[in-house]
Amino acid sequence: MLIDWYTIIFQILNFLILVFLLRRYLYGPIIRAMDDREKKIVEREEAAAEKKAEAEKAEEDYRRQKEELEEQEEEIREKAREKAAEEKNELVNKAREEVGETKRRWEEAFEREKETFINELRRRIGQQACQVARHCLEDLADSRLEELIWDLFLEKIADLPEEESSALQEALASDDYKVVLHSAFDAPDEKLDRLSESLQKAVPASEGKISVSAEVDQNLVCGLELDAGGYRVAWNIDSYLEDVEEQILDELDQSAPVESSEEVPGGEEE
Amino acid sequence: MTINPDEIILLQWGWFTINSTIFFTWLVMFLLTFGSWLVTRKLTSEGELSRWQNLLEVIVQGINSQIREVSRRDPGPYLPFVGTLFIFIATSNILAIVPGYTPPTSSLSTTAALAICVFIAVPVFGIANQGLVNYLRQYLQPTIFMLPFNIIGELSRTLALAVRLYGNIMSGTIIVGILLTITPLVFPIVMQALGLLTGLIQAYIFAILAMVYIASANQAQQEIVKKGEK
Repeated sequence: MLIDWYTIIFQILNFLILVFLLRRYLYGPIIRAMDDREKKIVEREEAAAEKKAEAEKAEEDYRRQKEELEEQEEEIREKAREKAAEEKNELVNKAREEVGETKRRWEEAFEREKETFINELRRRIGQQACQVARHCLEDLADSRLEELIWDLFLEKIADLPEEESSALQEALASDDYKVVLHSAFDAPDEKLDRLSESLQKAVPASEGKISVSAEVDQNLVCGLELDAGGYRVAWNIDSYLEDVEEQILDELDQSAPVESSEEVPGGEEE
Repeated sequence: MTINPDEIILLQWGWFTINSTIFFTWLVMFLLTFGSWLVTRKLTSEGELSRWQNLLEVIVQGINSQIREVSRRDPGPYLPFVGTLFIFIATSNILAIVPGYTPPTSSLSTTAALAICVFIAVPVFGIANQGLVNYLRQYLQPTIFMLPFNIIGELSRTLALAVRLYGNIMSGTIIVGILLTITPLVFPIVMQALGLLTGLIQAYIFAILAMVYIASANQAQQEIVKKGEK
């Protein structure tokens, strides 16, 4: 008999028991362990992915910051460049102004020197002209120049127009009838007497009150000047000298540098 | 020379008899259970695996993938049954190289017992999956006249399963026995090696067929459900 039912039943039971035992000791734990491992691997992968994402984010942040910094740097550099350009312009302007100022000052100095020179020249020329005239008059008329001048001066006072004489009178009255005569040479007393006479003639109200004093003034060059309380009556060779002066000044202007007359204020000639 | 290990009585106490088949079955059971317990009491799911754990995982994983391939569904519920069939038969057959050991699978009683288990398991899994009515309706497909043939088919494949395994293993043992009388040296070893191979193949075939039967019962049901949906 190949089939033994007793054994078969026994074997079925045995098999079922084995199924139970293996399930308890083999499949359960092994499957659980594998599942656990799988889960952990998945977790690790997720963690890794997360970390990777974080790293990428950090990298992105870093890159952005770097770009910002670069932009800022560029901005700062641009600003510095602008500032430098501004400063340069300022400096150039300042330098230009300074140069202008220096030039102006130099020109002023030049003008002053010119004026001084001209004044000096004028005086010398006047004196020379005066002497020349004096010598000429001495040689030609055989009379002293001063006398002629006196004659002319006295004549002038005598021939004062009406409004002039009234102005003279007012001036004399305001200064207590004191008259100062400026002359280039010593005035002789005779002439002074004649002057007071002439004045009394010209201003009848001053009869007997006039006192004339004389002062020598080299600057007059050659001539006479009457100062009565701010009123002046004069005859001198200034007018002649002025003609000479003008001519000399014209000559000087022509020879002076052209630009000096453009920018310089107060550079006009008298 | 005995063909049937059932007839080798090791212990008898009244009607209670321990024959060779039962004894070696217990031995195999003990080895499997104790071995599994030894390995699985200190499982790790992290770091390095122990060699034995790795072996067991490979085996379990292999069985799982086979079940998945055949049934095209989650192997979870089938694993203990099908896996145990494979491991038990394979172990029983492999141990045949140990002198003095008689594989329990060379007893028709054992193979019949396993076949009966499959025979019962098919409807059990079918009913568990799709309910009693749906499972029974399967026997009436495609017409009610097919009922006897369906039942005969179910029985015959159980018988075939049992005899196939029995024949293969028993024949292996017998061939070695015969060859030993003809050519006592060297050649029986080759045959024994071949026996190991056939033993493993038989274990594989038995388990796979069991799975195929179980799966086919469910697939037929699935087709019915699909038709009903249409």
